[in-house]
Amino acid sequence: MLHIKRFLKKSPWVLHYNTGSCNGCDIEILACLSPRYDLERLGVLNTGNPKQADIFLVTGPLTHRCHDRLLQLYSQIPDPKVVVAVGSCTCTGGVFKDMYNVNNGIDSLIPVDVYVPGCASSPELIMDGIVKALEILEGK
Amino acid sequence: MSIVFSFMLGFFAPIYGGIFYGIDRVLKAKMQRRKGPPVLQPFYDMLKLFSKTKFIVNAPHTIWMIFYFLSLWAVVFMIFFGGNLLYIIFGHLLATVFFIISGYSVNSIFSQLGSNRKLLSVVAYEPILIVNAICIYLVFGTFEISEILAAPNNFNSLVFTFLSLLFVVPTVLKLSPFDASKAHQEIVGGIEVEFGGVFYELVYAAKFLEMIFVYSFIFILASNDYIFGTFLVVFSFFAVALVDNSTARIKIDSLLKALYMYGFGLGIVSIFWILLCCI
Ligand code: SF4
Repeated sequence: MLHIKRFLKKSPWVLHYNTGSCNGCDIEILACLSPRYDLERLGVLNTGNPKQADIFLVTGPLTHRCHDRLLQLYSQIPDPKVVVAVGSCTCTGGVFKDMYNVNNGIDSLIPVDVYVPGCASSPELIMDGIVKALEILEGK
Repeated sequence: MSIVFSFMLGFFAPIYGGIFYGIDRVLKAKMQRRKGPPVLQPFYDMLKLFSKTKFIVNAPHTIWMIFYFLSLWAVVFMIFFGGNLLYIIFGHLLATVFFIISGYSVNSIFSQLGSNRKLLSVVAYEPILIVNAICIYLVFGTFEISEILAAPNNFNSLVFTFLSLLFVVPTVLKLSPFDASKAHQEIVGGIEVEFGGVFYELVYAAKFLEMIFVYSFIFILASNDYIFGTFLVVFSFFAVALVDNSTARIKIDSLLKALYMYGFGLGIVSIFWILLCCI
């Protein structure tokens, strides 16, 4: 019998969502897809469509306005899925911590599997995070 | 070609079509000086889609899409059994219409926009295909692919047909600059947007079949010279990948204008070329 599950690891399609970040980490994510770092060699595809995604890359400290959308996107991704929080502000609130309009990180709302620190986090760190996420995805 | 061989070619079309698609992705990556995914990446993707949760938006949406896939596959079978060129063109049109209906059957704005645009692009490329089929008829005196493939090579008279078909290839395959009906960054894939899991798999495999459909049109231009036919296909494969990598998307109305002006125009020129200079 073919173990279909192990192919999850070989073709992770990424959905990227910005919950009110300063755009620093988003640019680093795009840099990952550029020729220098080339995430596509791991089979990563930036889909922009939750129904076809496996990895949910979230940036930003989760402003109140993004609340519902984040939940909606998360629930539209078919299982198995992993969530990667990219950037310090996504993990803990970072520089935006305890401001009146933010929620101090996305793990107050959805379960996070991998935390990628750094403000802004570097492409190497993001790639590390995605590779880690692939291991978790395989186990799910 | 023996019947068994034709049947095998048709039956395994989604498999080797997948390999072509993988090569296409690697080629594009190499053009951007990237390493690119493995050649077998489309199969990894498809096997992965099997293990995802299955969900459908509504029944007609999925059923029309399955019709689309099956009729497209039937068209590919017709090509390998040496069928009639006109039947093949209209069969492909029917398949595309199924897909468009599927896009209209959900409430998603992106899906409906994608259907609208797909309809417009069909309006743009279908006349070109028919004009080119007429050119092929003028040269070989038949619409049957099996007879065309047996006829002596007469590519000189079909040069303009080839050039005009080069406009159709990226439109059918939804590649830049004629990818307004898919437009991944703008309408998130158009009709594809609401498919997920194992059902997206068929949409994904249909891309391979579409590839075989358009490139077989180019292949038959070389009639019985199969090596030259392969050369034409490889050449257009490279040219289309290069143009896809180096151009931006144009709007749907510019797409219509461009296809009517250059694609259809070249088709008409081709008819005159054949009538005045070659017969
Ligand atoms: S972690 Fe820093 S750089 Fe990244 S989005 Fe947040 S504030 Fe911007």
